[in-house]
Order: sequence, then structure tokens, then C-alpha cells
Amino acid sequence: MSWSTRLAALLPRTVARDNGGTEPDPRFTFANERTFLAWSRTALALVVAGLGIVQLLPPFPGVPSGRHLIGLPLIALGAVLAVAAYVEWVRNQRALRRGESLPVSIMPWILAVTVTGIAVIAGIVLLVSATR
Amino acid sequence: MTGPTGPEPTGPEPAGPDPAGQGQPRPSDDPEERDPGLARERTSLSWMRTAISFAALGGVVLKENVFTGLVVLAIAPVVWQLGRVSQGSGSRTDLPIAGATRLFIISVAIVAVALLCLVIAIFGKAVPGALR
Repeated sequence: MSWSTRLAALLPRTVARDNGGTEPDPRFTFANERTFLAWSRTALALVVAGLGIVQLLPPFPGVPSGRHLIGLPLIALGAVLAVAAYVEWVRNQRALRRGESLPVSIMPWILAVTVTGIAVIAGIVLLVSATR
Repeated sequence: MTGPTGPEPTGPEPAGPDPAGQGQPRPSDDPEERDPGLARERTSLSWMRTAISFAALGGVVLKENVFTGLVVLAIAPVVWQLGRVSQGSGSRTDLPIAGATRLFIISVAIVAVALLCLVIAIFGKAVPGALR
């Protein structure tokens, strides 16, 4: 499948026209929607945290770009998670309609790896700042 | 009292013909089965939390850039209103609108807000030590 076909399959109009399978139990649809909303709030919280770090923290002595190194990846992660949450919702809804098993989500993996990376960056910034 | 009824799943039901609800399913122990409106309510609350998250982010951005902050704050009531759509026409069991468009709007809004925050974080004037 080409990239444009995959992208077109994610557009809300295409998703709404999907009539394969049957309408799932409304409780499942609601639960899927809540999962999407929970990820959206996670994304918003990451954006708030990143902006707060860059704008509100006192600068690290000796590391002038330290705050940006920690905060900007957090904001970018928020944007990525917002898109991934929507893609995930479409895939789950598709699987629910067809009674298939739910696809494995890569979002916890994205979150864990990126947060670990940011924690490592923060540790390095602190160490460098302390030894200056 | 006869104590635990063992593996019998139906419990101490009289063996004779049921006078009241022949053919009607017994009310389940799962409150969700008795009233699917609970799922609707949880989802509605989830939408409100998401709207509040947008408002909180708007408050943080307001400190850095008044115009952008007002834009983000204005998203919050829109999200709240989108959440009310899922409450349906009042019937407690009607199917939810599988609102791909609503979720798509949320996703796009978060990405746009994250990009605005990136611009603010990179080019905005950081208040040095605002949290000190």
C-alpha cells in the first residue's frame, strides 16, 4: 500500500464511510474514544511541561541551551503523540467493527523511549552545569 | 441460608416456572450491563477533562504570549461543545456517533498548539528564573 493510500484511509471522511463489519457495542466505541482522549491529555501535558521548562525555569549555569535541550523534545513528543493517538483510534475502531483482535499499540513504546532519552539529556545537562 | 452455591452460575433460582419475567434476561451483576449510560457519562467527563487541559495550557501560554494564549483558551469551550455531541439525542442506549471528525479536530488542534508552543519556546523571550 502506498503512503498516499494509507494517509487517505485516515481521513475522517474515509473512516466515517467504513462499513466493513458491524457497528460494535457502543461501550467499546466509547472506551476507544476515551483512550484517544486520555492520550490527547498526555500530549497536552507534555506540551505544557516543555513550555514551562523553557520559559519558566532559571537557566542552567554554564549550559545556555540546557532548557531548550530538555523542553523542545517534550513539546515535539506532544505533537507526535497527538497524531499517533488518532491513528491508533482509527485502527482500533476498524478492528472493533470487524471483530478482530486489537492491533498492538506502539505509543507506550514511543513515550517510554522518548522520556528516557529526555531524562538522560536532563542528567547530562545537570552534570555539565554542576562541573562548570 | 445454604451457604455458597458452588459452581452453579445462576444462583439459588427456584426451579419452577418464573411468574414474573419468563424469557426476560435477569439483571446482570455488572452495572455496565444494566445501564450503558455509564460509559456515555465517563466519556462525557473525559471530554470535559480534555477541555480543561486545553484551558490549563492556554493559561500557561497566556503568560508568554497573550494572543496565542487567548487562541488556545478559545479552543477549550469548542472541545467542551464537541464532547456534548456524544451525549446524543437523550435516549440512553442509542449508538454514539463514531465521530472521526471530532477526534481529527482534536488531533489537529494539539499539533497546531504544539507548533505554536515550539515557536514561542524557540523565539520567545524567556523570563529568567521565573520559578526561582
